[in-house]
Amino acid sequence: MHDRVEPLDIILAVILGVFALLILIPFFNVLTVSFVTQQVYLKSSILLFPTEVTLENYKMMFADGRIWTGYRTTALLLAVGVPLNLFLTTSMAYGLSRPDYPFKRFFIFFVVVTMLFNGGIVPMYLLMKQLHLTNTLWSIVLVYGINAFYLIIMMNYFQNLPLAPSESAKLDGAGEWTILYRIILPLSMPIMATMTLFYAVDRWNEWFNAMIFIRKSNLVVLQLAIRSIVIDSQISQQLNASNVQAQQFTEGMKMASVIVSMLPIMCVFPLLQRHFVKGMLVGAIKA
Amino acid sequence: MDNNGLIRRIIRAKETYLLLLPGVVWFVIFAYIPMYGLSLAFKTYKASLGIFGSPWVGFENFTYVFRDPAFMESVWRTLWINLGRMVFEFPVPIVLALLLNELRLQLFKRSVQTILTFPHFLSWIVVASVLINFLDMQGMVNGIIRLLGGDPVNFLGNTSLFVPMLYITDIWKSAGWTMIIYLAAISNIDTEQYESAKLDGASRLQTMWYITLPSILNTIVVLLILQAGLLMTAGFDQIFNLSNAATAKAGEILDMYIYRVTFQSAADFSYSSAVSLFRSIINFVLLLLADRICKMLGADGLFPPIRRKQRRAAWAKGM
Repeated sequence: MHDRVEPLDIILAVILGVFALLILIPFFNVLTVSFVTQQVYLKSSILLFPTEVTLENYKMMFADGRIWTGYRTTALLLAVGVPLNLFLTTSMAYGLSRPDYPFKRFFIFFVVVTMLFNGGIVPMYLLMKQLHLTNTLWSIVLVYGINAFYLIIMMNYFQNLPLAPSESAKLDGAGEWTILYRIILPLSMPIMATMTLFYAVDRWNEWFNAMIFIRKSNLVVLQLAIRSIVIDSQISQQLNASNVQAQQFTEGMKMASVIVSMLPIMCVFPLLQRHFVKGMLVGAIKA
Repeated sequence: MDNNGLIRRIIRAKETYLLLLPGVVWFVIFAYIPMYGLSLAFKTYKASLGIFGSPWVGFENFTYVFRDPAFMESVWRTLWINLGRMVFEFPVPIVLALLLNELRLQLFKRSVQTILTFPHFLSWIVVASVLINFLDMQGMVNGIIRLLGGDPVNFLGNTSLFVPMLYITDIWKSAGWTMIIYLAAISNIDTEQYESAKLDGASRLQTMWYITLPSILNTIVVLLILQAGLLMTAGFDQIFNLSNAATAKAGEILDMYIYRVTFQSAADFSYSSAVSLFRSIINFVLLLLADRICKMLGADGLFPPIRRKQRRAAWAKGM
């Protein structure tokens, strides 16, 4: 049956359309500003489309070099961090999902406690210092090993898998690790994809721990590189408005760096979009 | 069960424990040791002795904490800002989900959903950069105001506008994502209810009010409780990136205070731990309190659904 479009649909479409536009326009404006010169930017009050396109801003941004450092550090973080996340989360989620073994409820409680209560950044910083991990990539790799929410989502997924294949493999003498890698993982590709994307996005957006643990300029993560280009210069601009020297970056260059940092997220977003609703549904059943 | 049986079951499950081992080791080092690290609140931190070796001093740190007027101010400010979030931000995704669910234009519906969820996947650094560009004196909004003959407004450099801007920008970033949670809950509703309501001649607005909304009430309650459990926390990333010298005072929530006293001035780690512990305990108490209140009002709350599911599973096994 095909529903008729009623006046109500028009009203709903207008309300939601305005909301969507309010989100789209700022992004579009960032894109436009990144392609115009500072003079054009200052002259025009509303910039919807660039009158004359220039790539000067992008050249300046890459010449500055901070973006390259940021990209390199964040790429390394993803390359080392995401596999670690997947290994820790998968093995523990599978272990927790096994039916009936002594102290199972204790281990679940052990995880849930960390969702309700955490030490915060101060003891974490002191711990990192004591482990001599500050100013190394390992500090930000290790600080985010398992996300307890993702772990629970995965555990629920494993719990809903059929038991028969792993039971018969066990009769053939396969160990739990073999079962996990040979039987369970091939059945779990959708959830593995979801987890990879979730962890990768989290790692991509990492900045707070990096700001606290790492004070070395050649290990700056991408987000902090953006922050130092866009926000810090904004603040120094406001502090000494008369000082021309403080205003070293054009708005276009700042926005170019924003675009460059968003690009990968935009590329994986259609995938995220497809997977996260499923992931949310599994999570919602638990909640 | 006798001890021998238990030991035999543990031995039989040894491979399962091996699976748990890497994760458990991680949780112990990077979640439980920092949790224990909050015991620094009752110690005086000596770098050479570390977290474990530093000497105990009782409640001394707390007397200093409560003597700092900036601390109590930041506590009240945090509560106030986050209560405002519950009033002004919390309903938005619910309304969005209800509206989007009613919309029949499928392609339009999917595009709106895509656009609304996108900002959730960006960090607050990027979102703040985008919005500063949009809202500052040279930005597009002020351009429009100027064209219409008005005076430009310094949206992000103005103390009295700062808190409303926090609500608006947070809605801008996260309302779409939270909406997805409600949409997921709506998709679980039995369609038969809608069919029979339609036969009874109910309008679409009536079904939205009398069927959809009550059906997602439990999801609403769960998210509300979780929000209550964050009353002392939420918002550091946002405020850290949106505030500047002009608005620093208006945005000093508890987490900003902790950051300032720990990493910007001469660091006193015991003092910061005392503040952190205070914050964690208040959060935890508020979470339990909200859960209890919701149960008293007859809603399911946070924990019973899990327990009920387990009971059902145990019962099914007994059959």
